[in-house]
Formats: sequence, C-alpha cells, structure tokens
Amino acid sequence: MMWLKRLFSRRRLYGDLSEEIREHLEEKIEELVAGGMSRKEAAAAARREFGNVTLVEEDSREVWQWPSIESLIADVRYGLRMLRKSPGFTAAAVLTLALGIGANTAIFSYFNAWIIKPLPYPQADRLMVFVSHETKKGWTRNSVTSTADFVDFQKQNTSFEQTTAWAGWNFNLTGDGPPAVVEGGRVSWNYFETLGAKPMLGRTFIPDEDRAGAEHVAVLSQGLWQSRFASDPRIAGRNITIGGESYTVVGVMPGTFQFPLMGIANLWTPLALTDKERTDRGRSWFSAFGRLKPDVTLEQAGAESAAIFARLESQFPQTNTLLTLLVSSMTDEIGKEEGTTQVMISFAIVGLILLIACANVANLMLARATGRTKEFAVRGALGATRSRLARQLLTESLLLFFVGGVAGMFFGLWGIRWIESQIPGHIRGYLVNYGHVDLDITTLAFTLGITLLCGLVFGLAPAFENSRLDVNRTLKEASGQASGSKRGARLRRIFVAAEIALAVVVLISTTLLVKSFLISVRSSPGYNPANVMVAQLALPKTKYAQEWRLRNFSEDVLARIQALPQVVSFGAASSVPYGGFGQGVEVEAVGKPAPQPGERLGARFTAVSTNYFSAMQIGLVKGRLFNSADEQGNSPSVIINQTFARQFWPDEDPIGQKLQFGERRTVRTIVGVVRDIKMYYLRERPERQMYVPLAQFPSGTLGFVVRTAANSAAMPTAIRDAIWAVDRDQPVSSVEPLEMLMVIQDAGNRVMTKLMVFFGALAMFLGVIGIYGVMAHLVSQRTHEIGIRTALGASPGQVMGMVIGQGMKLALIGVALGVLSALGVTRPLATVLYQVAPNDPLTFIAVPIVFAGVAAVACCIPARRAMRVDPLVALRYE
Amino acid sequence: MKNREQRDLFPGALELMILRTLKRQPLHGYALAQHIKRTSNDLLQIEEGSLYPALQRLLKEELVKAEWGISSTNRRVRIYKLTAKGVKHLEREVSRFETMLDGITRVLAPSAS
Repeated sequence: MMWLKRLFSRRRLYGDLSEEIREHLEEKIEELVAGGMSRKEAAAAARREFGNVTLVEEDSREVWQWPSIESLIADVRYGLRMLRKSPGFTAAAVLTLALGIGANTAIFSYFNAWIIKPLPYPQADRLMVFVSHETKKGWTRNSVTSTADFVDFQKQNTSFEQTTAWAGWNFNLTGDGPPAVVEGGRVSWNYFETLGAKPMLGRTFIPDEDRAGAEHVAVLSQGLWQSRFASDPRIAGRNITIGGESYTVVGVMPGTFQFPLMGIANLWTPLALTDKERTDRGRSWFSAFGRLKPDVTLEQAGAESAAIFARLESQFPQTNTLLTLLVSSMTDEIGKEEGTTQVMISFAIVGLILLIACANVANLMLARATGRTKEFAVRGALGATRSRLARQLLTESLLLFFVGGVAGMFFGLWGIRWIESQIPGHIRGYLVNYGHVDLDITTLAFTLGITLLCGLVFGLAPAFENSRLDVNRTLKEASGQASGSKRGARLRRIFVAAEIALAVVVLISTTLLVKSFLISVRSSPGYNPANVMVAQLALPKTKYAQEWRLRNFSEDVLARIQALPQVVSFGAASSVPYGGFGQGVEVEAVGKPAPQPGERLGARFTAVSTNYFSAMQIGLVKGRLFNSADEQGNSPSVIINQTFARQFWPDEDPIGQKLQFGERRTVRTIVGVVRDIKMYYLRERPERQMYVPLAQFPSGTLGFVVRTAANSAAMPTAIRDAIWAVDRDQPVSSVEPLEMLMVIQDAGNRVMTKLMVFFGALAMFLGVIGIYGVMAHLVSQRTHEIGIRTALGASPGQVMGMVIGQGMKLALIGVALGVLSALGVTRPLATVLYQVAPNDPLTFIAVPIVFAGVAAVACCIPARRAMRVDPLVALRYE
Repeated sequence: MKNREQRDLFPGALELMILRTLKRQPLHGYALAQHIKRTSNDLLQIEEGSLYPALQRLLKEELVKAEWGISSTNRRVRIYKLTAKGVKHLEREVSRFETMLDGITRVLAPSAS
C-alpha cells in the first residue's frame, strides 16, 4: 500500500521540498553576504548557481508522480480548457470529425457484419455451395446441374461429411385462419443438420421422411408457430393443411435460424424426390451445399467434383456435355447476395472522406496554432521543453479527435439505423441476421482505432510545427501577429491541395454511381408499370389436376376483375415481371441444323392471356399479338422477344418461322415479335423470351396484372376478393403495385445511391470549407501587408484578384491531381456501373468545372474582406 | 534547454556521488552540494538545483532517508542519511563503476602492447 500512502503524503512532500529549496538559497545568500557581497547581488548569484528553481521543483516532484499518467491528466485538463476557450474552432473540428468518423463507423459496421464476421453457423468455413458451371460459355448458376447428377454426386464424393439440397418454395396454407401463401423451402432431411442448426421444439426431419410417398411432415419457423398457431406448446404432432393435403408438424426452428441464400423461410417440408426425378438429367430445380470433412480442402473437393463430372460427361454426353459442378465457399456466395462490392466501394469512399476531414481539422489546428505562438513562446521561456510542448499539443489534438470520435460514434449509430430502415422487409431474408447490424465491440474498436490513429498522424504536424518556434524571435514581435513559420504555411497548402484532390476523386466516383442509378431508373423496363397491381398465386396440383380446371379458374378470375370499377386494362400470365414462378425451356429453330450437345439454347417461357400485352403496354415490334384466333385447339402460335429474334434469325424475318421447344418437342409458328422487358432487375441484360397463349397452355402459377385509372387503396382487397369469389381456399401471395415490387428489388442500389449523394456532397463541402479556411486565414494574417499594398496604390480589384488567384492556384492543382487519380481509381467501379463507363467523359469534365466554380466562390468571401482592408487601420498595428 | 544527461557526467553519476558523500556523514542539501563541488575541485559544473531531483529519486527508492533537524549554523534543515539498502546499493554501484572505469582506462591507454 506504499503507493497509496505516497499519494496522500504528497502534499506534505511537496511542501518539504519547497521549504528545503528556499532554505538552500537562504544559506547560500547568507554565505555570500558574509563573504562581502551585497544582499541583492548575493540573491542573484545564488539563483544563478542553483539553476531554474521552478524546473528543479517540477523535476523533483515528477520523481514521485506516475509521470505519464499525471502529466497526461494535466495536459488533458489544459486541453479541455483550451477547447472550451475557442468554441467556434472546437465545434467546427468536432462536427467535421464526427461526420468523417461517423460515416466510417456506419459503413464499417456493415463491412464487419457482412465481410469480416463468419456466418452464424458452427464451423461456417467448412460449408460449401455447389455451383453449376458451363465450361465453354462460362456461365454459372447457383443450383445443381440436374437432379440425377446431384444424386450421383452425393453417392460418389468422399470430400463431404454431408451434402444437402434445398429449393425455395411457396406453400399454400389453409385452415387455422385465412388461406395464406407461406414462403419456405423443400429441403433434404439433413438440411438443418448440415448447417448445424437445432430446433427449439420437437425435431427436424429423419431420412425415412425424405422419400417419395412417405408420410407428409413439416417444420415451422418460430414466427409462423407464434402468429398462426398461437405458440401451441403441443404443436409437434399436430396436423396442418398445406396445398390441400395434411402434414404433421414435427418441429419448430428458432427465430434466429436463417439461410440467406433461400431468403425468408417460415415452413419446410422434405424434398422427397420421386424415382423419376432421381433419374432426370435434363432439369434442375434445386440448389445444394455440403459440409467438408475436417481434413479436406476446398481445392481437393473441387478436384473431386471435377473428376466426378468428367465421368458423368463421358457417360451421358447428351445432357452433360460441358457441364460441371464447382465448389465454392458459402461465405463468398452469401457475400455476393449481400452486395459485398457495394460495401467495399462505400468503405473506400468513406475512407477518403475521413482523410479529407482530418486534413481539414489539421489545417484548423495549424491555423489556430499560429494564433497561439505567443503562448508557446512564453511557456518555452519559462522552461517547458520542446517535447513537453509537442506533447501538450498532441494531447490537445488527440482530445479533439476523441470528442469527434465519440460524436461520430453516435452519428454512425444513426447511420447504421438509417441504412437498416432503407432495407425492405422482403430483402432482409437474404441478409445475414436479417440485415440487422449493430455497433459491436469490433466496430467500437475500429472507431476508437481510426480516431486515435488520425489524431496521432494529423496532430503530429501542428505539434511539431509549433514546438520548433524560436522563443526569442517570437517574443520580440511586438504586435503578437507572429506569422507562423513558412513551413507551417506550406504544410497547410499541401493539406488543402491534397484534400481537394481527394474530394474530387470522391465526387467523381459518387457522380458515376449516381448517374448509373439514374440511367437504370429512367430506362424503360419495356412495359409501363404505373398504376399496375400484381396479384400472384399458385394453384394446388391436387385440386387443379385437370387442364380445364386451370383454364376455368383464370377465365373466371379475369371476368370478375373486368367487372371491378376503375379497371382500365387487365391480363394474366404464368409469370409476371418481378414475380416468382419464372420458367425456362430449351428451344430449337425448325429447319436449322440441330445443336450439338451442350450447345442447346434456352428461353424464358411465359403463357399469357390475350389481353396481357396490351394491359402491360408491351410494345409490338412485328407481326401480331395474340387474339381470339389463338384459342384452345387452334393453330399453335408463339410470340418471341427482340433478343430472341435477333439471335435466332439475325438476317431473316422471324414471322412465320417455326420453333420447337420443351420436353415434348412441341412445334409452334412465330406470329409476332415484342419488345424486350425487364423481368427481375433494372440492370439485367435482355434474355431470350417466348410467349404462348394461356388458353393453349393453362398454368398452375398465375400473375394477374390490373391497370387502374388511378392508384386505388381499395384495389388490392377488391382483387383478392375477386379471386376468393372463385375459390375461397386459394391463398394469394400479396397484391402489390408493380412499381413497388420494382423499388423493393432495387432497394440495394437505392440505399447505395442515397449514400453516394450524401458522401459526394460531404466531400465537396469539406473540400470547399478547407480552401475557404486557408484563404480566410491567409487574409487575416496578411491584413498588414494588404494595407501596405493598398497604401502604395493597389486597387481593390488587384487585391481581390491576388487573393482569388492564390486560392484558385491551390484549388486547380488539387482538382487536376484529383482528376488524374480518379482516372485510375474509378476503374474497379466498372462492375457496379450500369451503362456508364468508369471514365465517363461528361463526369470527368463536369465535376472539375463545378468544383472549381464552387472553390472560386469560396475564395471570393475572404477576397472581398481583403479588398475592404483599410490601410490606416491595418498599418496602425505597426 | 540542456537535458539531464548533459548535466550529468553519465547517468547515475550524481546519485553515486551523493551516496558516497552521505556514507561518510549525514548531510543536508546545501552542505551536500558544497561538499561535492569542493571535493571534485569544481570539475563537475553541476547546478546546485539538480541535486534535488536526484535526492528525490534516492528517497523514493529508499536508498536514503531524510529528517528535519537543526544545522550547525542553527537553521532548520533536512538531513539526509544512507539506509542499509543504500549502503549495499553503493557498494554494488562502486564496484560496477570501477570495472567500467578499468575497461575504459585500458582502451584509452596510449600503448596497448
């Protein structure tokens, strides 16, 4: 407890010391006086020989202190006092830092949650996703090559502990409440086990249940269990009705369980492949993943998969030519869904913004330091060492950064919440932890880390600058208008030029991203989505086994929709844009050489009602649309899109050509060509698409589109009632405006764009503030000089020109540097840009011009002040 | 400003001289300063003040102890005394210093062979 005693006895200790030194000096003086000196002379001599009393006392006391901590506390207290004394400076610096650090905190927390953190499964790094790959054209698809291929792969591979398959599925749930479409999946029995997920109630599936014809079983999510089954504790064993059939609930998965590749899931049933499906090499409709054995690497598993598929290729050349199955880490695959690239780009941009903010604050500190040269000169004269002064300044800047960092943390927290609020519920299922991101320890450590690092790096410059001043010269300057060292001024100019260069880089990058967003939003999707309502449903196979039932259902619903008020036009299709249920078929042109195995081409296949094209306002390019001539039993007709026509008949008229498609090799005659439409994304590339009459191809999956005169709030209910009037047990997924579906799908780009607008504006604001600050400071320092110039006959215009010229020189150097670096820096943006080149000339010309213009305005304000300098007032300081 | 190293002959030299002086007899600060100055023939241009931080360091390490008393000239002074720990420390330091000095002397000797 020695240190404790010391702590309390310190006051006495210090008192002893002072007394002792006083006595020492007295003794000396007395001796010298006895030797014949006058008392005054003796006192001076004694002090001279003793040295600096204050310093000796300070040094002696320091022995008893924990020097680092105690002088730190003293420095911090002093620093806080200094910050309080100049509230304007403090507020500007803290705000700048809070914006810079806050933006970094917010983006980093997403970077951390989506890129750094492992997936929420035990030993998630062992989980691998299987990706189909076509080796010639190079396309990949997140599903297996075919059902039979996967069954073979499962049997033959030795790399995986478990492999498991899944397919996203919409279930029609009836009974226990109104009919509902529940999103979920059909999964292999070991799906949950492979992920390492445990049920909160009951059990998951067993192998016997994953067979065709086995008893129907289902697993519920906690959410569905609570909302629909009132958290029934005896849910396991209870029967529920899915698609008109009875299923026994075996277990409930906790709300924390999630599989981002599947999206939102509330209900699971076994995959239960039929024997026919197990031997089907033509189609694939599910995806798969597996857990690697502990001693097997990804490369080994990939090599084994390649070997298995090479065997399959030679065994089944008809179906498997050029096809293989790649092994890819699940973390990477989920990362792609989450927009890893976008997070990385944002992270890079906020990094630049932080640099700009720091350069700004460093400049503010340098400017303020020049006003404080006197203070430091006095402290230097009183015996403060250079390192002591530098430490003091460094403490002050660290303090400033720390306060900025704390403010930034709150700003960052707000930013995290804002980003989260921008993610629509439907998309969240695809994001790890449902897109919920929090300020965790890693993020806090990152924030603290960058705060201190920036504080150190950018605090060192002013600290070093100020501690090296010449005490004598500064004190001699009568006016106290000590113009900081030339080095300091040069440093500030370098900071400003660099800052502007960085701001230009950020502004060019963000402009490119925003421009590409605007282009994608303004590009026509090929139809008019305004005031169109979409209702989707899937008819159960058991109840609608016969084609006439399917046909009657869609015709009855359409007739009832037609009778609704305010309906302008309407139609139905087996799948609609931004909906589910997409289908594809293999196509072949009749009369052209048959394609080689592996060269077969596919097309999107949609069955549409005759009024669908006019309801959606999809433009006709050639030929005719479907009409009453395309009824059931009439001549088989087909309509294709522009891309299809261009690729199959580049130099011929597609009208009248014959097309063979599907497993049944149906032959149909092309009667029309329509415009390409966007099916899933605004930025998608057009794909081959073919349409057949719904009357000839009745579909179990239906999307009804209804265009109304105005946006009507009652319409969704009216459409749902129209459907339920035909079949009151038929669940309807959701009735929503098509425009909304498009916005939801584009949510990621929307958030990104809003962020980019904010970051771009922030960078420009900080850059301009930077140049304004430097020029304003320069003018205030040169008041005297400007006064002389004016007195000697310089016109106000000349003075103003001089200041603006100087400022613009800096600005233009910065802008030029920025443009040059942007040319290199924007190149990686190419992957996320839509119809905008990374070196888009318009952006590279407009941004520098706008920036230079704004900088000129910023320089005008101090220039006008310089112009108004009254030579008499300025010179009076002499 | 001169730093401490420049004021000292070498790090710890001042402490060593203080301990050696105090071993002979307990002294107060002023007397200690005068004694060191005198015995070193004013060779060491130390500021008298630099004695005090050194004394504080020794106090803290408990190599010396201090008590208020009355000097021969009848003034209130703080008299420093070597502790047992201080005696041991001094012996160790002196022998280390001698070894070092011996080494330096050998190197500096004009003709080695």
